[in-house]
Amino acid sequence: MNDSPATVLSRIQQRSLGIGIVVSAICAWGAYVHWTRFLQAYLVAFFFWLNISLGCFAILMLQHMIKGRWGLVIRRSLEAGASTLPLMVLFFIPLLAGHARLYPPPPTTGFKAVYLNWPFFLGRAVFYFAVWVLMAWLLNKWSDDQDRTGDPVFQARLTRLSGPGLIIFGLTITFAAVDWVMSLETGFFSTIYGMIFMVAAALAAMAFITVMAMILARYKPLSEVATAERFHNYGNLLLVFVLLWAYLSFSQFLIIWAGNLQDEIPWYVSRAYGGWGVIALFLVLFHFAIPFVLLLNRPITKSSRALAGVAIALFIMGWVDLYWIIEPAFRPQGPQLSWMDIATPFGLGGLWMAVFLQKLRKRPLLPLHDPRFEEVLEYD
Amino acid sequence: MEPVEPGKNAAVAEPVLAPGHSFGSVTDQISAIVLTRGTGKKWMGGFAVAIALLLMLNFAITVLFAKGVGIWGINIPVGWGFAIVNFVWWIGIGHAGTLISAFLLLMRQQWRSSVNRFAEAMTIFAVACAGMFPLLHMGRPWLFYWLFPYPDTMTLWPQFRSPLVWDVFAVSTYATVSILFWFVGLIPDLATLRDRATTKIKQVVYGILSMGWRGSAKHWKRYETASLLLAGLATPLVVSVHTVVSFDFTIAIEPGWHSTIFPPYFVAGAIYSGFAMVLCLAIPLRKYYGLEDFVTLRHMDTMAKIMLATGWIVAYSYIMETFMAFYSGNPFDRYMIMNRMFGPYATVYWILIAANLVIPQLLWIKKMRRNMLTLFLLSLCVQTGMWLERFVIIITSLSRDFVPSSWGMYYPTRWDWMTFLGSIGLFFTLFYLFIRFLPMISIHEMRELVHKTEEEPAA
Repeated sequence: MNDSPATVLSRIQQRSLGIGIVVSAICAWGAYVHWTRFLQAYLVAFFFWLNISLGCFAILMLQHMIKGRWGLVIRRSLEAGASTLPLMVLFFIPLLAGHARLYPPPPTTGFKAVYLNWPFFLGRAVFYFAVWVLMAWLLNKWSDDQDRTGDPVFQARLTRLSGPGLIIFGLTITFAAVDWVMSLETGFFSTIYGMIFMVAAALAAMAFITVMAMILARYKPLSEVATAERFHNYGNLLLVFVLLWAYLSFSQFLIIWAGNLQDEIPWYVSRAYGGWGVIALFLVLFHFAIPFVLLLNRPITKSSRALAGVAIALFIMGWVDLYWIIEPAFRPQGPQLSWMDIATPFGLGGLWMAVFLQKLRKRPLLPLHDPRFEEVLEYD
Repeated sequence: MEPVEPGKNAAVAEPVLAPGHSFGSVTDQISAIVLTRGTGKKWMGGFAVAIALLLMLNFAITVLFAKGVGIWGINIPVGWGFAIVNFVWWIGIGHAGTLISAFLLLMRQQWRSSVNRFAEAMTIFAVACAGMFPLLHMGRPWLFYWLFPYPDTMTLWPQFRSPLVWDVFAVSTYATVSILFWFVGLIPDLATLRDRATTKIKQVVYGILSMGWRGSAKHWKRYETASLLLAGLATPLVVSVHTVVSFDFTIAIEPGWHSTIFPPYFVAGAIYSGFAMVLCLAIPLRKYYGLEDFVTLRHMDTMAKIMLATGWIVAYSYIMETFMAFYSGNPFDRYMIMNRMFGPYATVYWILIAANLVIPQLLWIKKMRRNMLTLFLLSLCVQTGMWLERFVIIITSLSRDFVPSSWGMYYPTRWDWMTFLGSIGLFFTLFYLFIRFLPMISIHEMRELVHKTEEEPAA
């Protein structure tokens, strides 16, 4: 308890970096031995961490728009999360390299022949990343400027970027999900798909940020402002995202089930029976029902420890969800867990955490010139 | 998400209640509209127009019952005409009221206090208008109770796989909870009116309605608990009702209806048109009754922003529908979109796009949000757009589905128009009666707001 947050963060950073390098090296060997299997596992791991980065990016803009006091405590973590997006560009390279192995060839005629052909696919990927990296950079830069100068013009700029920014986020993550995941199964399409990805990203990021807040709240200066009321807010946000995820996922399921059309229904047929069916049930229980009941309880949401427990579970379930969405495209008959399925998220995650913590450590943990700052000190 | 209390946030936000008010001034100003100011000429004029439209509705319905639904423009293949368009439109409008009164209560957003009463009233009247249409559309509306699963001797049982049956439950639950919530919220104010009323009749009527409210601490405690519970019940209904309405379409496999994004898209569209209606009502009301102190520019600005946000969810859904129609590679889906854009109803489609997507982008500009005339016009524009959206969804898909030999055009008849405009008359008749006989702003919640503002003086 006598540690300062700086030493704690740097300790976590060193360990993450160590784990990241070692596990990534082992995964690289796996890629050498079994390239296709590696790519399949890697896609899940990549999307898992992309979700965290993009979710931080989206919640950061959301709190600039809503201006609630809950945003102040986690703002720095969100900014650091968004600033990992350039790293995601690097992580995307293996997928580009294995593109032809991973994705089925696009049809030769019709809309998909144009939309999914390689140059257009690549061009769009470049575009999504360029937009994300640029916007995340601006959000961080103006925040730095605000810290340095205290000029209110920067808060105004941040707010002004966030409105259109959220719209751009929604559209880009949707098309990224269509390009990189939906296209794995050529026949399938669903108009709600992008929204499910948006909410999954926000949920995963919020779970991650809640755990970070729990760690940081043990030390000054965050211990002064991260009150039980704040954790209650984060619990409520998690609850909202859990409900939204369940609502959107169930809507998609009910409509496709009732329609029972040959284009759409195979997607659920492979995911609802056998081993995948067990995982689907597991998702219903642990990605919705149980967290829902727990998050309704004030004693849980008001205690940072208990809430962090729920958040960690949701964080892991985020990976299970992606595994259930992505993997049946390769193995519709049932799940076959490979060691690489488990290793790749740790490999990428270690490196991701190292970059994240590097950014977080560089700046004061509270944005000093945030207009909410005095308010929070005065009333909480 | 975070409560924005008055006073507390005065440094960053404008007040939700103009400064200088006391318990007395708030009570006087709001109750005077009902008790002492009398019936204004403008009120009479507006009420007369509303009543005239209502009479037209009665006439149209009488003829409908006498002759049958054949007087409408519906046919085979377009069996769902104006009746369903109007149903979806009205029920959508109601949603903003519930969102303001229930969801924002749970979120402890205090700006809701001054708009929630008339927004809830709007909800109930809109649901009344909405509920009427499926019954009229049934052809034999006197048999409506067949929709309920009751033990009968006809071996008749509703088809529970049909979302139309889900609608019966969703809408009737929604109506019940909305009325309860509204009435419970009214009780303390009805007691205020009872105590201030000067004539015997008013005292007795408000007295009966206030159900023996004496304002004791115990009463208030129970009142608060009941409000929270009802808010907790009503909040999921905001989402569930329009989700079920969207299932009316998506469960069918009609191109343009069977689309997975419909549930969130319909809910967002409902809130979009609902807030437009709240603004349409609030802008003239606050001006005519001088309520600018209670319904401040801050409220207008916030509601305009919510409209803009929900409008973008609707826009996103249009983009997804269009994209997926091509991406799916399904010829029927592709044809459906092309038919909407360039088919016989293309004009309606492009007006809808202009009214729902293009023109409302003016709301990004602060000046537009704070100019009451432009905001009023934009709200009308959105409501038109949302009505046309339902028209486009229903009519274009039904008129041209899979087999060209079964295509057919739909043209509304004068009876369709009379019923539609008449329902607006019904809505406004009820609304005019409401603002004349009941406090349109919650007096006790405004007192609470005064208390909070005084406790933490504005910085």
